[in-house]
Amino acid sequence: MEGVPTTIAEQLQTLLCSERAVAYLQVDSGLNLVGAGGQLNAYGLAGLRLGEQAAEQAFFLEGFLPPVDTPFVVPSMELPSGRAADLHFFLQDDTFLVVLLDVSAERDAARRIQQKAYDMTLAREREALLNRRLEAANAALLATQDELEASRDALARAHDQVQAQAAELAAWNKTLEERVAAQLGELERMARLKRFFAPSLAELIVSSGNERILESHRRDIAVLFCDLRGFTAFAESAEPEEVMALLHDYHAALVPLIQQFEGTLDRFVGDGLMVYFNDPLPCPNPAERAVGLAVAMRDSVAALARTWRRHDYQLGFGIGIAQGFATLGQIGFEGRFDYSAIGTVINTAARLCEAAKDGQILITSRLATSVADAADVREIGPMALKGLRRELAVCNVEALKAA
Amino acid sequence: MTATLQKKICMLGAFSVGKTSLVKRFVESVFSETYLTTVGVKIDKKTVDLSDLTVSLILWDLAGEDDISSLRMSYLRGSAGYVLVADGTRPSTLEVAMSLRRRVETDFGPLPFVLLLNKNDLREEWAVRDEEVQDLQQSGWWVRSTSARTGEGVDDAFGTLAERVVR
Repeated sequence: MEGVPTTIAEQLQTLLCSERAVAYLQVDSGLNLVGAGGQLNAYGLAGLRLGEQAAEQAFFLEGFLPPVDTPFVVPSMELPSGRAADLHFFLQDDTFLVVLLDVSAERDAARRIQQKAYDMTLAREREALLNRRLEAANAALLATQDELEASRDALARAHDQVQAQAAELAAWNKTLEERVAAQLGELERMARLKRFFAPSLAELIVSSGNERILESHRRDIAVLFCDLRGFTAFAESAEPEEVMALLHDYHAALVPLIQQFEGTLDRFVGDGLMVYFNDPLPCPNPAERAVGLAVAMRDSVAALARTWRRHDYQLGFGIGIAQGFATLGQIGFEGRFDYSAIGTVINTAARLCEAAKDGQILITSRLATSVADAADVREIGPMALKGLRRELAVCNVEALKAA
Repeated sequence: MTATLQKKICMLGAFSVGKTSLVKRFVESVFSETYLTTVGVKIDKKTVDLSDLTVSLILWDLAGEDDISSLRMSYLRGSAGYVLVADGTRPSTLEVAMSLRRRVETDFGPLPFVLLLNKNDLREEWAVRDEEVQDLQQSGWWVRSTSARTGEGVDDAFGTLAERVVR
């Protein structure tokens, strides 16, 4: 130690040896241990055998022998004993020296600093990782929020659609209820009317939607009466079943014709029928319709009469038609109403019917004038009819004119 | 008589990936939850019985560094092979391992090595992608996931490396 007094150098050597736990190993070129000394125990190297392979006894030398270049230092090597040493490799003559200097204190100091630094770095890494996860979670939440908002919009649209459909359904329901109520009302009206009127008349009134037509009123109508000649005598001599069967065929033949000509069937009285036109619902050409119906009736009964004659029923068929104003409307009282016509024209038609012989269709001359274009009529002359003060000019309908 | 060999193996990897814990699990079959950083290098020894010979592995547990340029390559002098260790929950440590491997190969040539993806017990926090591992395996790397805590894969990894360094 240049410039340092020998005493101080010796003190330093002593201090170094005691503080640094100096030890050494000497290895020859055959890598055998040829020398060892110092504080070998401190490094767990007690019991070394000279002359044997160095690396097998001090295994930390494995790979370092022979050293490629010297001097060479392996710093801070912690041995299984826990002690840390710097390993210094020297070349001396033909041997290598490995000197161990204890650096445990330095190792501990460095570890404290390094530990703090690494702990901080790890904490930062952890924080960064947590931040990334938070950001990912946040992004996922935002995505979920977007999805929820989209779902909510879709739900709102679906709700609106359902509401619209519900409103539409309610409207349909209302319409349906109104229609059902209207139909029920119609049925009720029909049921009520059918108690008092013929079904055809009831249907007519209901379909017209105006029950006021039942109120008493005056109208120009054509009235047709018809009945069978000789029916009273027949009814007296025939069996009731025969009478009923004949009436059934008779009515079955005439009623469809009445409907065909849109006449109002006022009533059946035995073999007699009263039909009028232009009431309760107005119709065009009531006189022509009445005459048309009468001719059809006459033809139909003529066909029936051929059968009757085979049974020896002596029956004829007569018709009377008159036209004029009559009073029409509901007559009767609660529980038994009827719809009928009252007036001279009714009596006139009835009397003309009485006066008609088999096959005749007697009409007033006034009516004959109004159907002159539609029917061929033959004047019969004035007739005194029962219940009428004056004689009446009467005509018979021979046939309908070709259309 | 069975021959006994002694081979120097270095443990390399970023700090806090579990190098010391893997050595402790392998040598002493224990695990400590306390993280104690390694300064310099820590030497240990473990004898491994192979099929026809016994190998003493001299394990050089090198201090992990976050700045790999500060790695003392002198520690690797005389190594027969090395263990690269990465933390499966910290992808950056795999990059450090790959970088270390390049440096070792540059300075010491193609030594036998294995790559351990440690902390396999923390699967919920696992962050290394399987595709990355498959790429490394396809390029010839011997890769295993290990857990110093449970011991999973540890003996197998050191045994495999022992075989590689003696063959």
